Amino acid sequence: MTTDSLNGALEVPELRMPRGATASPVRFAGILRSETIKLRSLRSTVWSYAILIAMSFALTAVLAATLASTMEGSLPAEAQTGIVMQVSSFPVALGQLVAAVLGVLFIAGEYGTGMIRSTFTAVPRRLPVLWAKALVLFVATFVVGLISTVGAYLIGSPFLSGSGIAAPLSHPDVLRAVIGGALYLALIAVFALGVGTVVRNSAGGISVVLGIILILPTVLQFIPAEWATNTVPYLISEAGLGALGLQSDNPALEPWQQLLVVLGWVGASLTAGAILMKRRDA
Amino acid sequence: MIEARNLTKTYGQKTAVNDITFTVRPGIVTGFLGPNGAGKSTTMRMIVGLDRPTAGRVTVNGRYYAAHTSPLSEVGALLDAKAVHTGRNAENHLLALAATARIPKRRVHEVIELTGLESVARKRVGGFSLGMGQRLGIAAALLGDPQTLILDEPINGLDPEGVRWVRSLVRGLAAEGRTVLLSSHLMSEMAVTADHLIVLGKGRVIADSPVADIIGGASLVSVRVRSPQASVLASTLASPDVTITHAEHDMLTVTGLDPRTIGDLAARGGIALHELTPISASLEEAYLQLTNDDVEYRTGASARNLEVSR
Repeated sequence: MTTDSLNGALEVPELRMPRGATASPVRFAGILRSETIKLRSLRSTVWSYAILIAMSFALTAVLAATLASTMEGSLPAEAQTGIVMQVSSFPVALGQLVAAVLGVLFIAGEYGTGMIRSTFTAVPRRLPVLWAKALVLFVATFVVGLISTVGAYLIGSPFLSGSGIAAPLSHPDVLRAVIGGALYLALIAVFALGVGTVVRNSAGGISVVLGIILILPTVLQFIPAEWATNTVPYLISEAGLGALGLQSDNPALEPWQQLLVVLGWVGASLTAGAILMKRRDA
Repeated sequence: MIEARNLTKTYGQKTAVNDITFTVRPGIVTGFLGPNGAGKSTTMRMIVGLDRPTAGRVTVNGRYYAAHTSPLSEVGALLDAKAVHTGRNAENHLLALAATARIPKRRVHEVIELTGLESVARKRVGGFSLGMGQRLGIAAALLGDPQTLILDEPINGLDPEGVRWVRSLVRGLAAEGRTVLLSSHLMSEMAVTADHLIVLGKGRVIADSPVADIIGGASLVSVRVRSPQASVLASTLASPDVTITHAEHDMLTVTGLDPRTIGDLAARGGIALHELTPISASLEEAYLQLTNDDVEYRTGASARNLEVSR
């Protein structure tokens, strides 16, 4: 049939939908499915997640081996737990960069290539696309984050126990590092998605997010003014890592307040993204 | 049915679409014709809600595009062959779009087959030629089996076979009773594909009528006459309603008289005729005449040519 029509035959190909297979109204479940297909059908996404897991495992092994070799004598249980937490949540340090880049690219890649016009033609109300993207990204990054942190715990434990350092995975503080670490990565990805929606440009979006996560805390610490020092705990990365129990010497905020700070950043970036996505021409 | 009423779009100081009103009816192919920058693409983007009109409104089957519960089965749009993520393969691109309306997988494979993309369906779109990109865009437009099709420059980048394929496709879609709006800056293509033309220039509708009317009505039909006594013939034919151009020593171009009258007058004066050819305006000439004052980017050379042809 195709060859015929390519040869310019005037016979009109059958264009109708197969019987009983008409298009249905657009529902959120369909948009979620669409965004899931989009996320996993890009090589860049799949590779980024794979690299996140692989690097986490490799670097955790190195860290655990180094720690184990420098530890002498028996440590109190609390200190042991602290070391296990540090090792288990080690993937977060590197992972937040990957999560940030992925979050920006998930939307800015569509703006950059023009794909967004196809997306908005299929879902002209637009905002469900952003919510679906946020949810898909959150779940995927959380799962990958959890694989990384649990993996880090499992890889690190044998090294550490050789030096007499151990804490069970079921220990509340270890669980907090493992689950909290994955949660933090997922929230960073969604935060980056919001920024990407505002900026609509991959390079620009990545710069903004990495600037906020990495550079802003350092810059503020170097400013010799009280307001700068006071602002630091309210930065997304400071609050996020604090909530994991990794910066115990941070008395400014309680862990639940730190979680709220992170959620606040995520909410603000998504809200700004949503307003602009709805308003601007695509 | 697409209805635009007083549709206007401005970008800062620049008015891309200026208060246009038109209706695209089902069952025929409507051509959207105009030079680059005339506002064709902007208008099409407004139809599917990608750009928000500054004023006025445009509806598809009586509703704003965004108000339709199943937009892909309402309107299929090829707006830009590049509206695809270059890192994704063609099949996944279509599957992702199809998922929003729960269009089954077999329909995705159907449109892939229909547009001749089987061999490249698993290849990344980044490596596609312009023509393959157009086919993918058309495949996406057909996914939801829509009643209305909007195709912006669909033959851009297609080889001659592809051009003929698109032509028979859109004619077939219109014959099934669908609404088809097709834009092009190629007048020759419109002459054979479209039934009705909406001609845009500088953001305004400068003609909205059947193709035949535009060809027939836009330009005066002239007659080319050759005679060894051209000057004598010119004075014989001269009258206030008749325009005669004496281009070459033995050739006249006469406007305002039909070939029969010219022949009769020549015979009466005993003047020999070597040629008597009626010249009908092509759509291209008609189009150039219509858009003469509305071409936004005109090179010096073509400006001079237009002056001469006037």
